[in-house]
Amino acid sequence: MWELLARSLEASTIFLFAALGELISQRAGVLNVGLEGLMLFGGTAAFITAQTTSSYPLGLLAGLAIGGFLGLAHGFFCITLRGDQVVSGMGLWILSFGLTTYLGNPYTGPLGLERVPRFFGLSPFYPLGVMLVATAWFLLFRTSHGLAIRSVGENPGAAEASGIPVAVIRYLCVTSGGILAGLSGATYTLSYNPVWNYNFLMGWGFVSLALVFFSMWNPWILLAGASLFGIMWQLSLSPELVLPGVLSRYVWRTVPFAITIPILCVISTPWFRTRWGLAKPEALGRPYAKE
Amino acid sequence: MKRGSAAAPEPILAARGITKRFPGVLALDDVDLDVYPGEIHAVLGQNGAGKTTLMNILFGLVQPDEGTLEVFGRRVRFRSPHDALTHGIGMVHQTRRLVSAHTVLENIVLGHPRVRGVLNLRAARTEVETLGNRYGFTVDLGARVWQLSEGERQWVEILKALYRGARILILDEPTSALTPPEVKTLLAGLQGLVRGQGITVILVTHKLPIVMSASHRVTVLRSGKVVVRLKTAEATEEILVHHMVGRDVAFRSTDRALPTGRPLLEAEQLAAFNDKGLLALRGVSFSLREGEVLGVAGVTGNGQEELAQVLAGLRPAASGSVRFDGQDITRLSPLQRWQRGIGYVPAERSEVASIAAFSLVENITLNYHFDPAFTRRGVLDDAGLERLTQRILSAYNVKAPHQHTRAQHLSGGNLQKLILGRVLSRRPRFLIAHLPTHGLDVEATAFVRASLLDARAAGAAVLLVSEDLDEILSLSDWVAPIYEGRFGAVLSREEADAETVGAMMAGSLLKGARGQ
Repeated sequence: MWELLARSLEASTIFLFAALGELISQRAGVLNVGLEGLMLFGGTAAFITAQTTSSYPLGLLAGLAIGGFLGLAHGFFCITLRGDQVVSGMGLWILSFGLTTYLGNPYTGPLGLERVPRFFGLSPFYPLGVMLVATAWFLLFRTSHGLAIRSVGENPGAAEASGIPVAVIRYLCVTSGGILAGLSGATYTLSYNPVWNYNFLMGWGFVSLALVFFSMWNPWILLAGASLFGIMWQLSLSPELVLPGVLSRYVWRTVPFAITIPILCVISTPWFRTRWGLAKPEALGRPYAKE
Repeated sequence: MKRGSAAAPEPILAARGITKRFPGVLALDDVDLDVYPGEIHAVLGQNGAGKTTLMNILFGLVQPDEGTLEVFGRRVRFRSPHDALTHGIGMVHQTRRLVSAHTVLENIVLGHPRVRGVLNLRAARTEVETLGNRYGFTVDLGARVWQLSEGERQWVEILKALYRGARILILDEPTSALTPPEVKTLLAGLQGLVRGQGITVILVTHKLPIVMSASHRVTVLRSGKVVVRLKTAEATEEILVHHMVGRDVAFRSTDRALPTGRPLLEAEQLAAFNDKGLLALRGVSFSLREGEVLGVAGVTGNGQEELAQVLAGLRPAASGSVRFDGQDITRLSPLQRWQRGIGYVPAERSEVASIAAFSLVENITLNYHFDPAFTRRGVLDDAGLERLTQRILSAYNVKAPHQHTRAQHLSGGNLQKLILGRVLSRRPRFLIAHLPTHGLDVEATAFVRASLLDARAAGAAVLLVSEDLDEILSLSDWVAPIYEGRFGAVLSREEADAETVGAMMAGSLLKGARGQ
């Protein structure tokens, strides 16, 4: 039972890293629907680097770097070129999907390194995730930089008129978001399931994206949501550990998705938004042009 | 530069030879502006005269192609608003630059160089409160900006600029969304700042009464050039209009002849919800005869939009009824209303009234696609529509390069004339005109008002929704001030004076009336 929970929390960590990066990026007004692509690329780079150098730290670093680079590229399309954020994000996902399949194919199979050390079965990434959540919350809601980030996401015109460099802030947030997505992918391929195969994520990135909306852009709710989803996800993979013999495993497999859809539908109703305040960053998805 | 003597003080802000080109347009052509310490300096001009561009240059949002700026006697070059702010220039934009989801205090400290790192809002609150007391403003610092009235938001922006240490305050069209009492308070407050605190104010406007009552000096811009600089005491409204437009403009107003048309429209206890699901229109009744204008005066957001949409059929009535020509039309669709002769000019010119990416002909078609004269078994009569467009363009004086030009390339005034022409060419018996002259320059405004009066003379009943009290008073036969979804009264033109209507627009007399 504890093993299942520990495993669930590790799954949660993967959702959490990616979604937290996306949350910061969205708070600054930039949507990155290509999150799954960034995670795929980060995970693949981490896997290949770790295997060739037999070093976890180097692998992790490679994952962070490629994630940050892709975040920066998304920023260039959306901020400097003022392109459509959805188009750029989808492009990144398709590109990453194709390229990682091509680059990673020769490395198909297990990582072949000693497993990442665990404390009482718990991976070290989970406490890191909780720390990052606390940091992100403090940054966003208790510092002037956080106020600047939130203002840029709400009303970039107001921020600019207050002397805030809108583009710089957006670049920083999108790049940090990319780095966290890379970390998420690396966590998957180095620790959670150290085996590379074709399209290994199968939708984790999109669930993370949905979690950001679920969280109402609040890191603590995000932590709760990610933990809940991690548990449901893990449960759906091996339901016989808790409820043996009840329903087919294929039905269980749909549970996380079946729950996601109604939750997202309710959250997106005008009723819910007015009831719970103006959580969604007003300028989310809109490029900012002076004048 | 020469040292100024006591008699002629040096300008606190001087712009020299400012030129700015945008693709295809010379926005500013060798403009000089001198602003002296402790004055309210009005910058007057029509739309497109370059006022806002000039102010954006003074505030560092736009960089000039040529010319220099001097502030407090020092040559400066602003690359961003940040630079302007550090030189003591603050700007209050025409559209509010506040984050509506944040509190007043958060908005005020946003971007302040002294508020860095971990936010100490308690210390900032004390500072802002002290500042507010010194200048005599009281705003609830903990309130969220979206909860404030437009007038309060403006004070927040002014306070914010002062908190940043602004000594020169630029206000771009500050009175456009305010009720008359709010305008009075604002102007009195500005005069207090100038006299008591030595703040210098640059007031950008196209409203002559504001210039005449509040400013010390005025610079008039026309087509990117300075036409004249005057002391306000030496100017009259006529002189200023002449310089601003380049010729004399006459405003027509409603003739005093009593309308004697047949009763046409009757609205009874109309109520409607707004987009947020709140009851925004709370029981409005009126009746209109042919050839009458009912002016609904109010500040945007008091239910006028809902009223116009309910009458046009775009929003369901929550309760109440509308009778048109003796028939109940409360549940009719917009198309059925058009076919019965109800015309609608929406407030949102480029979002609702027209489609930016469509040509002028296609935009005209928006009100004619259902007309049997222009469609045969669902196929549009292109040639006929082009001839119709041509007629509307010339009859309504729309300046457009070509009838296949996209609507987005028209200026606000020309687009409005096109829309008005499209609606009026259908000869509506009842016309709903929502903010028809909002943001238009003097000439376009005069044209739109004249067209409304022509429609009235031709026997149409007109519901005119406006924020501009002068417009309401000069065009209407009946005046209905609206506040929080209710009419304060329906006054005849004789009973409606600016004070009463202004007070009702701000809700002050309504409370008394309810108490009786």
